[in-house]
Amino acid sequence: MGFLEVENLEAFYGRAQALHGISLSMERGEIAGIVGANGAGKSTLMDCIMGLVNTRGEIRLAGGSLANLPTSEIVRLGIGYAPERFNLFPHMTVRDNLLVGAYTARDDIEANLDIVHGLFPRLEERERQETSTQSGGERQMVSLGRALMTSPRLLLVDEPTIGLAPKLCDEIADVLIRMNRELDMTILIAEQNANFALRLAKHIYVLESGKIKISGSARELRDDPRLLEAYFGD
Amino acid sequence: MLQILIQGLLLSGLYALIAVGFTMIFSIGRVLNLSYGSSLMVGGYTYFYFSQTLGIPKLAGLAVAAVAGCLMGLLVFRLIVKTLEGSHVAIEISTLILAVVVQAAIVLLFGDSSKILLPIIPGVVWVSGAAVTYNILAAMLAGWAVLAGLHFYVRATHTGRAMSAVSMDLKGAAISGIEPDRINMITWGLSGALGAVAGVFFASYTQLSPSMWVAPLIISVAVVIVGGIGSIVGTLIVAHIIGFMEVIVTAWIAPELRGVFTMLLIICVLILRPQGLFGRAEL
Repeated sequence: MGFLEVENLEAFYGRAQALHGISLSMERGEIAGIVGANGAGKSTLMDCIMGLVNTRGEIRLAGGSLANLPTSEIVRLGIGYAPERFNLFPHMTVRDNLLVGAYTARDDIEANLDIVHGLFPRLEERERQETSTQSGGERQMVSLGRALMTSPRLLLVDEPTIGLAPKLCDEIADVLIRMNRELDMTILIAEQNANFALRLAKHIYVLESGKIKISGSARELRDDPRLLEAYFGD
Repeated sequence: MLQILIQGLLLSGLYALIAVGFTMIFSIGRVLNLSYGSSLMVGGYTYFYFSQTLGIPKLAGLAVAAVAGCLMGLLVFRLIVKTLEGSHVAIEISTLILAVVVQAAIVLLFGDSSKILLPIIPGVVWVSGAAVTYNILAAMLAGWAVLAGLHFYVRATHTGRAMSAVSMDLKGAAISGIEPDRINMITWGLSGALGAVAGVFFASYTQLSPSMWVAPLIISVAVVIVGGIGSIVGTLIVAHIIGFMEVIVTAWIAPELRGVFTMLLIICVLILRPQGLFGRAEL
């Protein structure tokens, strides 16, 4: 049994169906990648796991069903989320954004702050700065930091490189690898940038129009022409 | 001039106390609660019944009024706001209807004539030739204390930060483990309690009457519109702008026009700066 298991997941926005029978499985301590073009359903899948979208099907974490649980309970069970648009609190300082992340993990505040500051020293230097005045790269750091403050066992990261310069993408990649290795964190990354996902993930799921078109190990898929087709069509 | 300064400060403090509960609901829940004036009326009449009719100690009466306001806030949230979630116009119309229903209930229970509410703290102090009642002084200090307390609460406690987070980004709050409904319940309960306490001070400054919910509602709406989506500091500043404007109009132009100028201010801000003077989504 996998650490995260998604079975036959369907998602709906009103009457419109956004995901069609998605199934995936992750081992504990693994990094997996969901790749696909814009609109393929990557963010919807992440939102479904967090209980933010109406779904049918099954999602389990460490064997326990997440069906019908409110997002707050899913966070308590150990899933942290750094969404694509960050969803930070723009008129709060960096520190307050991180402290909001600790809402369900108040006993771990100091330890988690040390971890976040260790991974992102810039956040400690700028802890009094409002996030509305920060660059995209800094906001991504705050977003990841806030997710870490929830004491997650599984981290969902949506489009971590979107709009970032290559050097910053490398920094984010290094941090995600460190989280995985040093904190034994299971990480699911949704990325348009397939090279980034292929570089980090052991297993890749290619999403197209709300369906998994191909899946396999990153090594197998690296040169698979079907990966290109998923982005540019047949 | 000094009298205008003193009267302006006192009235502004009372207005800040009146408006803070309304601002909280608007900032966090994005709801224009048009039944807010009724919380003040329920507070005023509850205090009247328990302290003035039954004779329980004034502070206990104030506490009972706060509890009544809190319960009213919770009921409005559960029965109207949650039921009509997402439909702002329906919520606004329903809360306005509720205010009229509460007014009718008050007429049934207490009659339609105005009543004098004795001050919580009787007595007068003379400041540079101006008579200042202890009651309005207490209202001003209560207004400042509530705003300072709220400022501290929002910045230094987990629940306060969660309130602020919900006001800024609902999804961000949810993925941080915050239950927005729980935070909204706390906000509505707190808003109702603060409104009821403000109602006791307001009624003892003016008088108790079944239509007393209208003026505080207009003041609160003016504070939100002029201030923008309510920051705590913005609430305090706009309460002072309106308070001083009313005192100056009363003293130098015509007492009958004091409310009119507040209305004109609302219209001017809506035309010239619709986001308000301090408009940003923050508590």
